[in-house]
Amino acid sequence: MKKINFVLLFLLMGFRAWGEGIEGSSTITGISRRFNPAISLNGLFLGAVASKHEEMDRIFRIQEVETYFTAFVDPYLKGDITLAIHSHSNEDEHEGEHHEGYHLEIEEAYVTTQNLPANLTFRIGKFLSFFGKHNLLHTHQFPFIDPPIANQKIFGEEGLNEVGIEASYLTPLPFYSEIILEVMEGENENLFESSKVWDLAYLLHLKNLWDLSESTTLEIGVSGVYGRIHNEEVEKGWSSVLGEDLTLKWKPPRRAIFHSFVVQMELFESIKKSEEGKDRSFGLTTSALYQFSRRWWIGGRYDLFKNEENLQRISFLVAFVPSEFTAIRFQYNVNLNSEEAIHEGMIQLNFTIGSHPAHKY
Amino acid sequence: MKKFLIPFVILTQVLFISSTFKEKINVVTTLEDFASITKEIGGDRVDVIAIAKGCQNPHYLEGKPSFMKRLNKADLLIYNGLQLEIGWLPLIVQGARNPKIAYGAKGNLDCSKGIHILEVPQGEVDRSMGDVHPEGNPHYTLDPRNGIIIANRIFEKLKELSPDDEEYFKKNLDEFLHKLERKIEEWEKRMEPYRGTKVVTYHKQWEYLAEWLGFKIVGEIEDKPGIPPSPRHLSWLISFMKEEKIPLIIAANFDDIDTARKVSQKTGATLLILPAFVGGEEEVKTYLDLFETIVSKIEKGLKR
Repeated sequence: MKKINFVLLFLLMGFRAWGEGIEGSSTITGISRRFNPAISLNGLFLGAVASKHEEMDRIFRIQEVETYFTAFVDPYLKGDITLAIHSHSNEDEHEGEHHEGYHLEIEEAYVTTQNLPANLTFRIGKFLSFFGKHNLLHTHQFPFIDPPIANQKIFGEEGLNEVGIEASYLTPLPFYSEIILEVMEGENENLFESSKVWDLAYLLHLKNLWDLSESTTLEIGVSGVYGRIHNEEVEKGWSSVLGEDLTLKWKPPRRAIFHSFVVQMELFESIKKSEEGKDRSFGLTTSALYQFSRRWWIGGRYDLFKNEENLQRISFLVAFVPSEFTAIRFQYNVNLNSEEAIHEGMIQLNFTIGSHPAHKY
Repeated sequence: MKKFLIPFVILTQVLFISSTFKEKINVVTTLEDFASITKEIGGDRVDVIAIAKGCQNPHYLEGKPSFMKRLNKADLLIYNGLQLEIGWLPLIVQGARNPKIAYGAKGNLDCSKGIHILEVPQGEVDRSMGDVHPEGNPHYTLDPRNGIIIANRIFEKLKELSPDDEEYFKKNLDEFLHKLERKIEEWEKRMEPYRGTKVVTYHKQWEYLAEWLGFKIVGEIEDKPGIPPSPRHLSWLISFMKEEKIPLIIAANFDDIDTARKVSQKTGATLLILPAFVGGEEEVKTYLDLFETIVSKIEKGLKR
């Protein structure tokens, strides 16, 4: 097998050299480039300080490096792979020490069907589940530096990101209306966690979007996810989350590069049922972002999460976006917990290199 | 009997009328320029709608789901290519779930094929040069002679999709090309006295227009393509323009007009705000209107 690989590599290099010989030294037009996937890399540099020193272990870190590959597999499938290298800090149990580490993770690896009839599309693999709006985003796409408390508490640090199959159907209604159904391994440790093989998790999302005018769109979505729990602590239980999302976007066509405005709200209700009864929690996040000139954005966000604890947070953001490929963002958080308020300050540098990625709406 | 007859007659009438009413070809274009040319050739046998408004910078559009909805029912997608629409078109083609217009399908027409592309980078390019388009300058619709090539390609495509209408399309194509070619001659004659005029443009948007009219573009207000001007670049540009006595600045109406105006005031050069696409101004409704407006504005701007 190894031998064959070497031969292939040799052939590829030969072709590459040949292609460059013909078309000059450009790697853009070289033959090797034609069948390579489009590759983008994103780096996130983060500096964070907090008023409560126990919460802090360091100031500067590489928050995440994401590598994104995409290409058509054949006439039937498109492949998308996102590998992420996250920073995380571990408490060493034996020595009681903090230490920082990085781990590589398959964030997404899926294929999307291209030519199915009847307005159907399937995604197969590991992907960010279609729950609400924020869960669909990679870390570098977050509108604020950190995720909403509700997303973090309910779905965990990595969000709802499982291995499974997704079917989506674009309805013939006069406005944009899409039905998304997902069947997946219920392995999210915050939610399902079941040792039984047949305990899958199910998700339904309805996405509706209206063009209110040339410059304004309104999106309303509902989501629900359900999965069983079966682990050391819970013999027989289930977990479900319901969500609603509302997004209003304004972007006047003529001044589109200079001004825009986004308001968003997401609601969550999570129920975990076990022998001991039902554990309910409620989450809300609402935010507004305003682009007041070509390169500057300001924003505010309010977060609420309620179960036994009652967490509230207010965030302010200023972003400087010198080009499509760089953003520098400053964020200030006030955490209003039961005991005392914690203040946090963050600065993040977000940069993308490689192929020009398409932007989600 | 009569009671049944009347509905029966109505029904057969309706069936008859609807059967003589042929399905139109449903065309979605990214730019209004392509929509205008498609209308000329397709006449009443096509339904055409453009996604980008002519007053919008098509590079910075967002892939709204409502665009997917439009593409969902389309028989033909016509676009500019050369990465002009790269930030949003792939997403809406994916979201449209329409095999007819998918990349590689019969109903997917990239108009840049067959055009002589300007400014294809030689050797390596990277983003330190700004938002360069590695496949070359994408604003080829601004040379009306390219309109002839585009019209021919749209004709070929419509013919392929609806062979029965070939004669009709051909007649429309010939009429349109005749009109366009005559107009091109007229515009060239009107612009003849201004050949060799030195111009500064806001963005690298007007290379094809300049090549057609024999203008010499000597600089841009933007630091680098897609990158807003820095004060240092502006002060250099202003002194350079004064020294070289550059008489003309061209900007599109979606550019940062205030900056362009400042440069114009400081240098005494005439600032012309031109429509870059069909629909860029209210009266610019067709591809011919676009150049009529551009030529008239240049004439007026340069006549002292």
